[in-house]
Amino acid sequence: MIPNLLTWIVFFPLVGALLILAIPREQKNAIRSIAAGTSIITLILSILAWIGFDRSQSGMQFVESYSWINLGDFQIYYDLGVDGLSMPLLLLVTLITTLSITASFNIKERVKEYFTWILILMTGLLGVFVAQDLFLFFLFFELTLIPVFFLISIWGGKEREPASIKFLIYNGLGSAVMVMAFIALAYKAFEATAFSHATFNISALADIFSNPEVSGVLTDSLKAGIFLALLIAFAVKLPIIPLHTWLPNAYVEAPTGVSMMLAGVLSKMGAYGLLRISYGILPDQAVNFATFIAILGVVNILYGAFIALVQTDLKKLIAYSSISHLGIVLLGVASVTEAGIQGAVFQLVSHGFIVALLFFMVGAIYERTNTRTISELGGLSKSVPVLAGFMLAAAMASLGLPGLSGFVSELLAFIGIFGASAEIIPAARVIAVVGAIGIIFTAAYLLWAMQRTTFGKMDEKYLGLPDARPMEYIPMIGLLGLSLLIGVYPSILSDVINTTVIDIVSKIGG
Amino acid sequence: MSAYNANWSLMTPEIVLMILALVIFTLDFMTGMSRNKPFLGRLSILSLLATTVLVAVFNRETGQIGDMFVVDGFAMVLKIVILLGVAGVIAISMYYVDRHRDVYQGEYYSLLLFATLGAMLMVSSADLITLFVGLELLSISAYCLAGFKKYNGKSTEAAIKYVVLGGTASAFILYGMSFVYGLTGTTSLVDINEAVPTLFADYPYIMTMAIMFMIAGFGFKISVVPFHMWAPDVYEGAPTPVTSFLSVVSKIAGFGIVLRVFFVGFESVYDEWAFIFALLAAITMIVGNMIAIVQRKVKRLMAFSGVAQAGYLLVPVATMVSLDMTMSMITFYAVAYLLMTLGAFAIITLVTEDTEDDALTSFSGLYQRAPYLAIAMTIFLLSLAGLPITAGFFGKFYIFVGAIQAEMLWLAVIMIFTSIVSFFYYFGIMKQMFMRDPKPNDDQTLSVPKPVSAVVTISLVGTIGFGLLANVLTNYFNNLQWFF
Repeated sequence: MIPNLLTWIVFFPLVGALLILAIPREQKNAIRSIAAGTSIITLILSILAWIGFDRSQSGMQFVESYSWINLGDFQIYYDLGVDGLSMPLLLLVTLITTLSITASFNIKERVKEYFTWILILMTGLLGVFVAQDLFLFFLFFELTLIPVFFLISIWGGKEREPASIKFLIYNGLGSAVMVMAFIALAYKAFEATAFSHATFNISALADIFSNPEVSGVLTDSLKAGIFLALLIAFAVKLPIIPLHTWLPNAYVEAPTGVSMMLAGVLSKMGAYGLLRISYGILPDQAVNFATFIAILGVVNILYGAFIALVQTDLKKLIAYSSISHLGIVLLGVASVTEAGIQGAVFQLVSHGFIVALLFFMVGAIYERTNTRTISELGGLSKSVPVLAGFMLAAAMASLGLPGLSGFVSELLAFIGIFGASAEIIPAARVIAVVGAIGIIFTAAYLLWAMQRTTFGKMDEKYLGLPDARPMEYIPMIGLLGLSLLIGVYPSILSDVINTTVIDIVSKIGG
Repeated sequence: MSAYNANWSLMTPEIVLMILALVIFTLDFMTGMSRNKPFLGRLSILSLLATTVLVAVFNRETGQIGDMFVVDGFAMVLKIVILLGVAGVIAISMYYVDRHRDVYQGEYYSLLLFATLGAMLMVSSADLITLFVGLELLSISAYCLAGFKKYNGKSTEAAIKYVVLGGTASAFILYGMSFVYGLTGTTSLVDINEAVPTLFADYPYIMTMAIMFMIAGFGFKISVVPFHMWAPDVYEGAPTPVTSFLSVVSKIAGFGIVLRVFFVGFESVYDEWAFIFALLAAITMIVGNMIAIVQRKVKRLMAFSGVAQAGYLLVPVATMVSLDMTMSMITFYAVAYLLMTLGAFAIITLVTEDTEDDALTSFSGLYQRAPYLAIAMTIFLLSLAGLPITAGFFGKFYIFVGAIQAEMLWLAVIMIFTSIVSFFYYFGIMKQMFMRDPKPNDDQTLSVPKPVSAVVTISLVGTIGFGLLANVLTNYFNNLQWFF
């Protein structure tokens, strides 16, 4: 295997970004090919990691650990590693970014900066999923803010500037709460071990907190406070109602390729952080908060679905459907059962593909018709049959059609919440049933929207619109194919995540 | 130890700098009235670099001259920071004075060098008298510099305001010092430190008052709220390179004196004064960041940004766990602050001079006009805002860790939330640079003179370099003996 594989994966996009900076901005095609080439090489590297990943092992693999900065008592390490939780998400980042770069080839203005920022964003995202040191995690987490701000505010739609500032402030506040929780975690662990273990390492902290002697020193209210702070921080990214208000603006105003990244990958950072850090370090609090998180999940599902139902803008509809779908992740996570957490990870990956495809389709249609208003679209299956077909397929995947990835993940998550022990979530079944109702609404708004756009009366002016270009087939087939692959052959994913999920659940003891 | 057998070699850098400053002063007379004398600027930079080397050589060993003048790790590091900072300021000034023929260059450069000498004396003194002499040498030179564009109303206004308020602040400091002397009978900081615990027990009100007077005076010099009112006006009116001098060198030297007085002279009664600094830090961060949001002029914005940054720097003063760690935090952040602020000011000088406008909109379309400057400015602003991968990000994180370790959660919370507030105005400048088109009457490309681009590049490398390899500095600081 390649030595320091994870470092290569994380920083290769940055190398590409620097390379692009060195190219004159007129040579747009060279810039595009470098961006695509960089992302493809990163993708290949991450596939190598996926292949080399030992599926029978639950701990960290491809570990890299170097002492970095000395803070007096604390020592910051450059710690990288992947386990069954981060491996699929790592691959998700490289896949979505590669396809998003392909989808962004139609960006005409300021090409050089666009691809530079996308590649910097890629580094940030990859770093978040492999960092095993809280400082490093925080660094990469913050690093994603800057490119997204620029990507929305330069290449976005009409209301781009308020949207980008809103994104920045909301997520900045989220990070602020997060870093406080991180340092509180590390410092309280340091204090509780009688000032002998100063560490920012996630698994070392998990060991300290699970040590019964140490746990006794730390009060429950303190741990609950830290857990809540982490929940708030990750809730902004995920997003969880009511910290979601930045999302519709950001998703809608962002250009297609960036929407794909935001919804497809960026939102996963929140759920990943919740599982890796909150659940990893404070498993006992995960049990205490299970009902709360499950209720938040149901609220997300229902609220997202209801608001999506009344949207007139197709892109906004997908933004709210994204909120709704991530509620399912929360349900699965809250159940603290194997099926539930596996379903949550499945849903993260599956939603990543599907929502990226949906945003891509909306972008492609907007490019041709210049409108996203549902009532102004209609009969697309006649004017642009291929695009309409893929959009329909994406919608089907999103509402959980068997055979596609959405079905597997939702099924697993709901099995999880149905099977949750009554001690952890008292009314688990009620919650599950209410959540399932939300799924019906999902079907309602998606099918209704599809009926009004792909079918229905065709507007004469849309006749003769060009159908899918060859370049557009790459993201369309790629994303749908991946969704189909997971749908018909789920064990390709479950093989990787299984051992880690069992490990997480056994630590929680649910 | 008498003055005859003292180890005078410790003072070599100061003596050499003074001689060089006088030489430059004299050279100015000898070369007539012709205004453009770039060689004086180059010579000044060389003198500063030479002095830096001397500091690194002669100040490596700790030592003292009769309790008045000490050389220790703290003095050495701050002297190097100050000297390099002034070298950067002079590089920026060379571009500036070239465009402003009403500036007498010889005096300008030698005044900057004298101010530097004062700053060096300040950070090296262990006695209230030497300390005050150094402070006044710095302050008086700075008053002159602020009014250097003497035919410009705003510059004159700035100088008058600065001299009146600065003089008042000095009076406050002296008044506070006189109480301390009256009670302890000594001006040596080390002796004061031994005497104050009992004095605090006997005369708590007088001691507290003395400390408050000094804090008010020093607070003015480092522009913390509520003693910051002069900063925006003076920063706006003063020639831009002088503004950068005030906001970088003068402020860092001011911090040097605060740290020296309080951590050497009053260390034994830390608990009596720490909370005052905590309160000051809190209101400074809140007010500085809030008022910066509404600023429309870039120099005023930087003034309030500088106020806010002073607030961050005060946090470790108020949250000491161990002296070494506090010093390490402050010094790291001071280095980061020097790099990012100096780099930003180099670009601000260039842009405001080029567009002859100091509104924020003068930055519009900078990316089209000078992509390198826009990218560099972005990095400096990200560093000031505390975002990765920059020295400012790590510096803030470090201070933050310290605040939580000292269990000053409320201060940590204020610090982090006001940092988020600062995103508004720092990203506002970025918005101008990247998302607005250049104004029609500005040149399409902005040519960057060599000295300015050198300052920008060095600051840029430093800002990113210490962001990635912060361990280089922290390791060095961890092994340093801060105070003699």
